[in-house]
Amino acid sequence: MRLRRIGVPADVAGRRLLADRDGWVVNCLFYLIVSGVLSALWRAAAGDGDIAGYSAAALTWYIVTAEAATCALSIRLIEEVGDEIGSGAVAVEMLRPVPVIVVRLVAEVGRGVARLATLLGPGVALAWLVVGPPPSAAGAVLAVPALVLALAANLCLQHAMAAAAFWLRDTRAMWFLYQKLVFILGGMLLPLEVLPDVLRDVAMVLPFMTMAYVPARLAAGHVEPVLLLVQVGWLVVLAAAAALAFARGQQRLQVVGG
Amino acid sequence: MGAPARDAGPAIEAVGVTKRFRGASGRAVDAVHDLTLEVAHGERLAFIGPNGAGKSTSIKMLTGILHPTAGEARVLGFVPWRERRALAERTGTLFGQRSQLWFELSPRQSLRMLAAIYGMDRGAEQRRVAQLGELLDAVDLFDVPVRDLSLGQRMRCELAACLLHEPHILFLDEPTIGLDLLAKRRFRELLVTLNEAGGTTVFLTSHDVADIEHVAQRVAVISAGRLIYDDTVPAMRRTMLSTKLVDVGLERPATPLALDGVSVVAQSDSDVQLSVDMARTSIRVVLASVLDAWSVSDISVVDPPLEQVIAEIYSERRR
Repeated sequence: MRLRRIGVPADVAGRRLLADRDGWVVNCLFYLIVSGVLSALWRAAAGDGDIAGYSAAALTWYIVTAEAATCALSIRLIEEVGDEIGSGAVAVEMLRPVPVIVVRLVAEVGRGVARLATLLGPGVALAWLVVGPPPSAAGAVLAVPALVLALAANLCLQHAMAAAAFWLRDTRAMWFLYQKLVFILGGMLLPLEVLPDVLRDVAMVLPFMTMAYVPARLAAGHVEPVLLLVQVGWLVVLAAAAALAFARGQQRLQVVGG
Repeated sequence: MGAPARDAGPAIEAVGVTKRFRGASGRAVDAVHDLTLEVAHGERLAFIGPNGAGKSTSIKMLTGILHPTAGEARVLGFVPWRERRALAERTGTLFGQRSQLWFELSPRQSLRMLAAIYGMDRGAEQRRVAQLGELLDAVDLFDVPVRDLSLGQRMRCELAACLLHEPHILFLDEPTIGLDLLAKRRFRELLVTLNEAGGTTVFLTSHDVADIEHVAQRVAVISAGRLIYDDTVPAMRRTMLSTKLVDVGLERPATPLALDGVSVVAQSDSDVQLSVDMARTSIRVVLASVLDAWSVSDISVVDPPLEQVIAEIYSERRR
């Protein structure tokens, strides 16, 4: 029964994605363009050598994976969730016998995984065509669960931040800052090893690294299963933060009128 | 029926419930003030009031969405704001202005999602959805994407979503808002059928006087956050709802009409609005007299606006 409580919302979320075909096509095109341009830049920079231990081929697989991890989620989710809280639309979800945050996260992970699957097909084809197979089959296999964990961690932190709308009037600007943090400190644009030492050390102890860097590094041929444990650890912390923020926030909900 | 009530007390019991909001200027406003109310199991209560009276805020406190500033309440034995999720397994709530269906999906897919959330297995879900399809005459609607349904059709599907887990209490917040006359009538008949067939308690908010007459057994009126009237519908009909308005379209200007209990509210060469006190003269007599005396192009009988009913309640209380 509990499995059904998780499986059906995730499945329905996937169906919602399929119903939005236009959005999916645009997202897919955006992903391919960004992945193509960024990986070409990194290949040009690496040439025949490597950058911080990444060959040109590894960098291509890195970018394709890191971009998939972030493009699979709505870019302005914090704003969307914040608006639903601010407008009181979240009240409808509070009428159900399960925590709001659980249904939301399950549904969003379901949607994210469905979107991820549709992105990875063209992404893998692109990388394979340009630089051949991934540097390590084991790394590529480990990257799959790491991508799902990356989505989950990203969604938990976005919901924890969006819950600020229970206290603040406007949280719309927050998504912009968040996005930039994932870009740089999450390793979406470049491997964290490329950053200056201090910045890299800071990035390595922040949760953003679980959201793009970890699956991308695995896909780039670094077979380091311990990275999955790091993701799981952060996921537990971020899920607890999101659950706590929603539980506290719901007690402060202000909905005036119907 | 779904999960049982916790105790044998009333379905709904509220004592001194107050909700204070702080506006943008920092000024505190009581959206609901000192609400004390009891609803028996199987009762149909219309909780009415004009826009901004505190109806929705009351429902949100009774369903546990909002925490009150003061007061106590129990719904099916549960304190709503402390035991919201346990209560949600036993109640169904419909907000007329907020959908609980997913617009990209068909109602059947939304119902599948809700059934999973309510912990129903696939077999129970399919049986219940088939049963609700028959009851709400919505079998054909369940496979149409929600975004393609008319408002009336969608409301029937929303009601199915509320009823999926066989709740003991239905909280309906302005469910008829925006519906056309036919859809309103159909929806009201459905609520009565549900109540009579399954004993479901109905707590209905509305600012439409007709909802009282066609659905409720009892009516509570809230105005500016305060409960100002609480009585049976027959009692209210005798006192407050004995007035009807008759709108008459004229082909020629009307001559004066002398009938006991009938007064002219507004008059022009082409229209007259009459107020009829049905305790003194029946509508049948008034219509016959009007059709006999005047050259009528159009005629309709309507309820007085809720604001007028509330004004009468206030004037009754002052007497």
